[in-house]
Amino acid sequence: MRVPSTRFIALEVDEDAVLTFPDGLIGLPGTTYTLVAHEEGSPFHWLHSLEDPDVAVPVTSPWIFFGDYEVRLTDDEAARVGLAEAADAEVMCVVRAAPELSDFTINLAGPIVVHSAKRLCRQIVNDTAGYSVRHPLFSEVELSDAGPAVPAVPVTAVAI
Amino acid sequence: MLVIARKAGERICLGDDTIVTVLEITGSTVRLGIEAPSEMPVYRYEIRVAIEEENRAAASTGVDELPTAKKAEQG
Repeated sequence: MRVPSTRFIALEVDEDAVLTFPDGLIGLPGTTYTLVAHEEGSPFHWLHSLEDPDVAVPVTSPWIFFGDYEVRLTDDEAARVGLAEAADAEVMCVVRAAPELSDFTINLAGPIVVHSAKRLCRQIVNDTAGYSVRHPLFSEVELSDAGPAVPAVPVTAVAI
Repeated sequence: MLVIARKAGERICLGDDTIVTVLEITGSTVRLGIEAPSEMPVYRYEIRVAIEEENRAAASTGVDELPTAKKAEQG
């Protein structure tokens, strides 16, 4: 399907690249999104709404930047995305950009959990380990040392 | 909405399985102990609001605001 976007010329989204958030993203509209590559080799993707052409948030894999990051899911949260095994889960965190790289932050307190085969997603509140919603992104790993994020779900398109 | 007065050491039941205990009251701060089943998410209200704000702010990011390989080489 063809999906309009205000950031990219257009998105061509296969059915198996549709990510469903039954309960939405916290504070944002819509329940269907897809991943768009920011640039080849980049640690960033855009989580782009399939319903609102203007809604897209930059995301990355938290473990590229923080090797010891932990997400604790309650049984209820795991069940909502159909997760029985941790191995089926993929985690993304929302990134907030800034004019300087040193001011980029990552939301470690509100990770997005994805069932990679079912492509069911949920943003959870990860409040137990003292993680910040605005943790400095490049505090442990430089951009030049950050490898590309390789999501377990199909990526739609490369930014033009 | 239920408004209820409790003293330190007193408890409130939420349903059958969740118990909130007032542990200590010091000045304007109340320390609570929450016993809830593992399937029930428990978190501070402010953190949900903060996540909402982060999401909204991130959703207005322009494509040129994310670093590119070229920027990384310069930086």
